[in-house]
Amino acid sequence: MSVEDLPRKESNVLKEHDGAVLGVRFNGDGNYILSCGKDRTIRLWNPHRGIHIKTYKSHGREVRDVHVTPDNSKLCSCGGDRQVFYWDVATGRVIRKFRGHDGEVNAVKFNEYSSVVVSAGYDQSLRAWDCRSHSTEPIQIIDTFADSVMSVCLTKTEIIGGSVDGTVRTFDIRNGRETSDSLGQPVNCISMSNDGNCILAGCLDSTLRLLDRSTGELLQEYKGHTNKSYKLDCCLTNNDAYVTGGSEDGYIYFWDLVDASVVSRFRAHTSVVTSVSYHPKENCMVTASVDGTIRVWKT
Amino acid sequence: MDSDEDDFVFYGTPIQREEDLTSRKKKAIAESSAQLRTLPPWKQEVRDEEGRRRFHGAFTGGYSAGYYNTVGSKEGWAPQSFTSSRKNRAEVRQQNILNFLDEDEKADLEGRFLGTSSQFDTFGFTAAEVARKEAEKEQKQRPSIIPGPVPDEIVLPATESVGVKLLLKMGWTRGRSIKDSHADALYDARRQARRAFLAFSSDDPKVKITGSEPIKDDSESFPEPPANEDIQSSKNTPVYVLNPKQDLYGLGFDPYKYAPEFREKKRPRLSSKVGSGYSKNFSSRDSLLGLKSGKSAPGFGIGALEELDAEDEDVYATGYEFEDTHVQEIEEPAKLSLEFQKKKDQKDQDNLPGFRVASNSDYKMERFEAPLIPKDFVPRHAFSGPLEINHKNHGIPPPDVPPPEDSNLKILIEGVANLVARCGKLYEDLSREKNQSNPLFSFLSGGTGHDYYARKLWEAHQKCIDQPKQHLDGKVPPGMKRLTAESRGQILGERPLERTSHDPSPSDVSTDVQLQFNLTDTFMKSAASISEIPYSEKPFKDDPAKQERFEQFLKEKYKGGLRSTSSSLAGDMSEAARARERLDFEAAAETIEKGKQGKGNKLLIPPSMDFIPGGVMQFTSGAAETKKDLQTEDLMGKMYPKREEFQWRPSSLLCKRFDLIDPYVGKPTPAPRIRSKIDTLIFTSDSVKSNKVEKPIAVKQDISHVQETANQDISESIAEVDVEVENIERPVDLYKAIFSDDSDDEGEELNVKKTENQEKKAEVANTALSRLIAGDFLESLGKELGLEVPPDMPYPAQISRNAVLQKEIINENARSGNLMAENNSEMSQNHGLPNDQDIAHESGPSKVDAIYGNILESGSTKPKGSIISNSKLSRSNRENGDDDRKLKSPVTSHRDYSSSLSSEEERKRKRSRHHRHRRHDAGSDSSSDDERDHHSSRSKGRKKGSSHEKSRGSRKHSKHHKHRRHESPSRSSHHSMEKDDTHPRKEKRRM
Repeated sequence: MSVEDLPRKESNVLKEHDGAVLGVRFNGDGNYILSCGKDRTIRLWNPHRGIHIKTYKSHGREVRDVHVTPDNSKLCSCGGDRQVFYWDVATGRVIRKFRGHDGEVNAVKFNEYSSVVVSAGYDQSLRAWDCRSHSTEPIQIIDTFADSVMSVCLTKTEIIGGSVDGTVRTFDIRNGRETSDSLGQPVNCISMSNDGNCILAGCLDSTLRLLDRSTGELLQEYKGHTNKSYKLDCCLTNNDAYVTGGSEDGYIYFWDLVDASVVSRFRAHTSVVTSVSYHPKENCMVTASVDGTIRVWKT
Repeated sequence: MDSDEDDFVFYGTPIQREEDLTSRKKKAIAESSAQLRTLPPWKQEVRDEEGRRRFHGAFTGGYSAGYYNTVGSKEGWAPQSFTSSRKNRAEVRQQNILNFLDEDEKADLEGRFLGTSSQFDTFGFTAAEVARKEAEKEQKQRPSIIPGPVPDEIVLPATESVGVKLLLKMGWTRGRSIKDSHADALYDARRQARRAFLAFSSDDPKVKITGSEPIKDDSESFPEPPANEDIQSSKNTPVYVLNPKQDLYGLGFDPYKYAPEFREKKRPRLSSKVGSGYSKNFSSRDSLLGLKSGKSAPGFGIGALEELDAEDEDVYATGYEFEDTHVQEIEEPAKLSLEFQKKKDQKDQDNLPGFRVASNSDYKMERFEAPLIPKDFVPRHAFSGPLEINHKNHGIPPPDVPPPEDSNLKILIEGVANLVARCGKLYEDLSREKNQSNPLFSFLSGGTGHDYYARKLWEAHQKCIDQPKQHLDGKVPPGMKRLTAESRGQILGERPLERTSHDPSPSDVSTDVQLQFNLTDTFMKSAASISEIPYSEKPFKDDPAKQERFEQFLKEKYKGGLRSTSSSLAGDMSEAARARERLDFEAAAETIEKGKQGKGNKLLIPPSMDFIPGGVMQFTSGAAETKKDLQTEDLMGKMYPKREEFQWRPSSLLCKRFDLIDPYVGKPTPAPRIRSKIDTLIFTSDSVKSNKVEKPIAVKQDISHVQETANQDISESIAEVDVEVENIERPVDLYKAIFSDDSDDEGEELNVKKTENQEKKAEVANTALSRLIAGDFLESLGKELGLEVPPDMPYPAQISRNAVLQKEIINENARSGNLMAENNSEMSQNHGLPNDQDIAHESGPSKVDAIYGNILESGSTKPKGSIISNSKLSRSNRENGDDDRKLKSPVTSHRDYSSSLSSEEERKRKRSRHHRHRRHDAGSDSSSDDERDHHSSRSKGRKKGSSHEKSRGSRKHSKHHKHRRHESPSRSSHHSMEKDDTHPRKEKRRM
């Protein structure tokens, strides 16, 4: 994929959210996106046709993160109301509410089998919730973090959390080991490379850092954007060739993965770009911003 | 009956029915007859013979009845709990009628077992049984030396049957055989006895009685071989030898029946070898013997067949089909089976009777020496046909031909030529065969570009033979180039990721070639590196021994895997020296590699350019660095990223949900990890700074807030003060005594030390405030915990004042019940929080403390009002703390998604938060962002305080302060400044 193939042309603008959009995520096959925002709603879209499909309303505060199961049947979401909601996609009803976080919940993810939701909270903990049983108690609380946990990633065997205390902690369930990689800077967002070997950590010193997961080495740093006070997303492109992320000045940046040069940057939004999500297969990207819009980018 | 008659009118004589006369009822009636007569029928109870109620009406029986005298447990008839896990499989339990019987039923049943009374115990069976039971009973009473049921199995009380007794009386002595006349008479009897004995011993399947049984002489069914005659004489004695059953035969089957010698042979082996693997070998050996004996031996095990007076079938024959698998175990098995005779050769104890040790054996263990590797052997695979092409090309260098116009073809040709040069002629043949139809590969078979190919091939060979570095035309093949990028990535610690745009040649064909190149590169690299070293780079020229070691090192390095640590070359070196040298080598190798790839176009690296002693020294100085450190050395200054590993225990359910096996299954929970103090202090400096900056602003904000919410906040503020108190100081000793929680104390101790001075002052104030709420509860708690609680005698004035205040507060509480409730709920939510090391905490306490100190002073002059205002102040101050925390560093501030974090906005937000309070009181359920902020900040603030139950903790603390405050009369300047601050505030409030 060359630089020309980067999604830089705006293909759709999705405006339904009132107020800032805090998160936008592709679903497993990239046909739909889910967005969530300060208007306490979760919205389901078809980004390719620019259609708003459904709205999920139940949250009492802003919704900060949303994730959908690989089979598109269930959603989980979290936000300022300290709860994790487990939704049925088709009916739009809340199946379960997981209460227990003592602060806002920053991020949620399903595990591979959609049997567990792991949430990351302002209360310095990661909590794993069981979707199979009717229990609303967390099946595991990980509270080794020293500050708010901002982001969480799951692999088949691991739970990875990034925290404001500057660490990326990997909890290996199979080995029963916790590996803490201290970056020295508050970690805002973590994102796995598609090959699963690296972690991209967005730090609050306006730097994205690429870590080797097996050794904990810092492989590369990506700079140029501004990220000092907001939770901004970053991710790798679907072929792991470029790193992309938003900036607080409304720009989107693309870096070359290997030499960390900014290969492209353009103004995408009028305000902070809070979230980016890259299509799992095609050259397509969606971005969300505080300005209340979601924009779909294609080549 | 009588009572019935009272109620109804009967005609005629009532028929006495049979069922009414069952013994139980009769008894019951008899027992309670007196009672019954006096009671009306609805109060009469049916009881069983033991006076228990057996029938329960719907309204009189129910739960307790079922529990107390029918079921036996609260849960009722609890079904057998079924547990089964991956590790612990459920066992199939053999159920027995006795499992389902009550004690009394069992007792009933006991009488029904039939047995022979000792009077008629001809064969001694019942006697044996009785004796056994007796022994069992006895054994239960006395503690056995060997624990467990073992002695019972080993020692079986022998009893003499009546028959034996009779025989003895007739003059028979033990050890003498009973001749045929006797045998016939005894046969049936013995048979009976045997059967009975079998029934008995089947209770105890582990025990097997084998061998020397009196069965041996039942010549009718088993004609004895004559040779056994003399042995028989001793076999009439019932000798009970109990052998634990260790084999796999049926019960009573004796494979040695016709070969008792083998039994003798086997015994020592059995005792010496008690391994798990043995039983298999053993059985196979035995099976062989068993089969050879032709028929299965008579014994207890074949009961049904025994009845047929005919020859027994070999019921065990099919059971052993793995006969041949362990031939090694048997000494000369073939011979054994063929010529077994009843010759007794007792000379050699080691040998089987009837066998001799062979003087010459066919069997010989053949061992081959490992092949010697020739000294000049190069460990690389070469295709079979490369050499001839080499020679061929050596002689006649093909003419230099201009490359074909098609660049794709050119690249292809070059690629193939390189490959062929490296992999040999075979590869050429192969690709020719494969690509016969492909016009692009026509150059292989003399088509377009063949000349060019020949030339290229020759060139490549030259390179291969001499040095790959020497490219005659100075061209780097694409494979080389790629190698460079890869190794550079390696050096930089990058991860090789596929970049499709990286390919210099976009056509499909060439990418194919490229791929093949990569493959061969991977495999051939090692060989190339090794072979070229001796020619070009000798970084340790001045020290030939070292150079030799270096080469050895390189060889090992690229060979990978087997790395001989005991290098003979460096035998005389010390461990440390060797390690250092190893690092040198690593570095040197790295440089060589770099040089090779970086300067691919150069004809030759100037020999030992980088490695003259100076260069070596350079590496030695950095000896501590390993290869990896070289890559990250530019990051060393920053010391990040830093990796740490800890133990972490996932819950078993989590493992299950992730479909993984719990790594800690069955292990006790690991001790809680002790947090490092560094974690705590990461952001300390930031937070302290921001606190100072932000304070004045925040204070102002809070003043306005105080004015706005004058009345309602009193109770709330007191409650919050209470919370705060516990944040401020943690009397370490008392606290520890109650909750010894490492992580808490660790963070706190720092704070305690730092703020010692202010703490002491503040303690006085804290006491006053917290006692408002704490009351006497503390003392009782102290007593409960067995701790000495000092009397609060010195402060009578305060107490009285407090009493007044408490009243007032109660009123206030009543008024603002809603508010309180809200607060409480929030508090309770927060108590369970992890009490982590907190950043803002350090600064928080000191400030608040100072104000508390102030409170006391002002309180002493103007009791009522000042305390209210003080509490308010402390509240506002607490909020300062919260705000400070918010702004202490980028850390927390980003949580606000909503807006930017300039201080102005922050102020605005604060204001709006105060508004919110009013709105909230009015009952409006707004859920604005501000509210959220407020919640979060508050919860954050509290969370830092304590993870324990609030009321207990705080009260204890306050108590503690009480008796500490004597020692802390002095106040710091900081405090006085705070005091000044409060005055204007008070003024404002009054206005």
